[in-house]
Amino acid sequence: MDSVARIRRTMAFQACDRPPVIAQVFAHAALACGRSVDAYVASGVVAAACQIEARARYGYDAVFAVLDLTLEAEAAGGVVQSRRGVYPAVARPPLAPDDDFRRLTIPDPRTAGRLPMALEMATCLRDACGDEALVVGLVQGPMTLAVQFLGIEKALFLAADDPDRFLQLLDYTAAVGKAFGLAQLAAGAHLVLVFEPAACPEVVPPGLFREMIGPRLKWLFGAFTKAGAIGNWLHIAGKTGAVLPHYVALGADIGNFDYCVDPEALLEALGDSRLCLDGNIKSLSFVTDSAADVEREARQLLNVFDRRGGFILSSGCEIPPESQEATIAAMVRTALAWKSGQSEV
Amino acid sequence: MPPELESLVQALTEGEREQSLRIVADLVSGGMPSVDIITGGIEKAMAALDKKCTAEQFNLLEIMLAGRAVMAVIRRLFPDDAALPAVRGNVVVAVLEGDIHDIGKAILKIVLTGNRFHVIDCGKDVSVAAVISAAAQCGAAAVCVSGLISSVIPQVRALKPALARAGLAHVRVLAGGAALKQCTVAALNVDHVGQTAFDAVAYLESMTPAVVCHG
Repeated sequence: MDSVARIRRTMAFQACDRPPVIAQVFAHAALACGRSVDAYVASGVVAAACQIEARARYGYDAVFAVLDLTLEAEAAGGVVQSRRGVYPAVARPPLAPDDDFRRLTIPDPRTAGRLPMALEMATCLRDACGDEALVVGLVQGPMTLAVQFLGIEKALFLAADDPDRFLQLLDYTAAVGKAFGLAQLAAGAHLVLVFEPAACPEVVPPGLFREMIGPRLKWLFGAFTKAGAIGNWLHIAGKTGAVLPHYVALGADIGNFDYCVDPEALLEALGDSRLCLDGNIKSLSFVTDSAADVEREARQLLNVFDRRGGFILSSGCEIPPESQEATIAAMVRTALAWKSGQSEV
Repeated sequence: MPPELESLVQALTEGEREQSLRIVADLVSGGMPSVDIITGGIEKAMAALDKKCTAEQFNLLEIMLAGRAVMAVIRRLFPDDAALPAVRGNVVVAVLEGDIHDIGKAILKIVLTGNRFHVIDCGKDVSVAAVISAAAQCGAAAVCVSGLISSVIPQVRALKPALARAGLAHVRVLAGGAALKQCTVAALNVDHVGQTAFDAVAYLESMTPAVVCHG
């Protein structure tokens, strides 16, 4: 069974030869292949080669057409600061609170900033992997882009002080994400992960998520489905136990859950929801813990979800670039050796 | 507690900046000393927010709105930072080299100030040497570092030995933020790892007065 078929069946809660395993590896792929983070974020072709080589080494089920998380801000006119050995950062946000958010231009993914590099990366990955591995694109969600486009304090204060204008901003950022996501699908991604950490209940109250962010996520996922995505993946880091049960209604097929969400409590909260889950080994465990620790955690997770199905073994968030190869290998090895129905009581 | 102070606590915890300032203006014109407004109003509001955090109802937006109201009131009462009354100790806050995400530090600064600690903000992406220098200069009781990305861990681990080399072994080191809070005290080589900004305050308050008031 190839990886795409395995993930499709898992999303549909159908039996598989083994549970899928996805290492959320971006620039770690470069370091694992003897390249630098700087080289990885500067070229879609180099980054794709690193992703392919890292997958060949580890044997997980997906590759990511992801350079770093500043692409949209840079394309929208923000100033991005390159920093040796680590991911670039937004040094000056592209927008100011007084801007007229209704009159902004959507960056063209074919020409703006490094967005074309991400598209090139998606194409390289799909050409190399076909359906052997899931090619995952990524856009940042409307709330996360709003925070990045204004700066977090200005964005959150705008949400509280002038909700109407904040909604205009969210409409703009959702449109930016839609254009970029559709372009990634056209370039070869099987699906687009929507990365929306700023929508976490630790950042915004549930009412704001429900009334302002949720409708725009639904709109995004609808557009991706219509464009042929094989599924929709919503990734919100942090304590998301309160919002995860609502993901299906937004159009998400896969929901990421972070290390701080208890798997047993989550299962209870989800009830008979058909949300496929991915998670939740602590990201830092891949840096600081032993391979045996990670393997033990992976086995516990596979055990918890064995009967329910609809589970992809993964980390709770990105696996840090400086992670130990042995810990990632341990997670993957555990899933590859797991036979569904072997849960250990 | 006088009803006006109760109203102030409620307005502050709800992040109502303008209403808080109106109540404070009334309290001041009624003759209430500024220090009583701090201890009876702001500190009570901070305690209410701490309780909310503990109950897992925390969200950054509400804390930021409350923080904005608290800082507006403090600025109104004490236009000059140095005039803050009965300061419990000096605390250096920083985001270390390699990390430029400083929202956690901004929240910590507000929570510490609201609890009568004098905060020396070193900024973000700063070297260990700059932090040590600031701690030495102000006679800090503690250094608090916030980190969103794991690549700053080596710098965090280097802080205590560097403080010791500078003759500042008594200065406590606290860590927090999305990446650092996943680590243990031993892994970071610090004195305390806080899950929230309020944890840091609780730790500082638990220190003996001799330590807190050092310098």
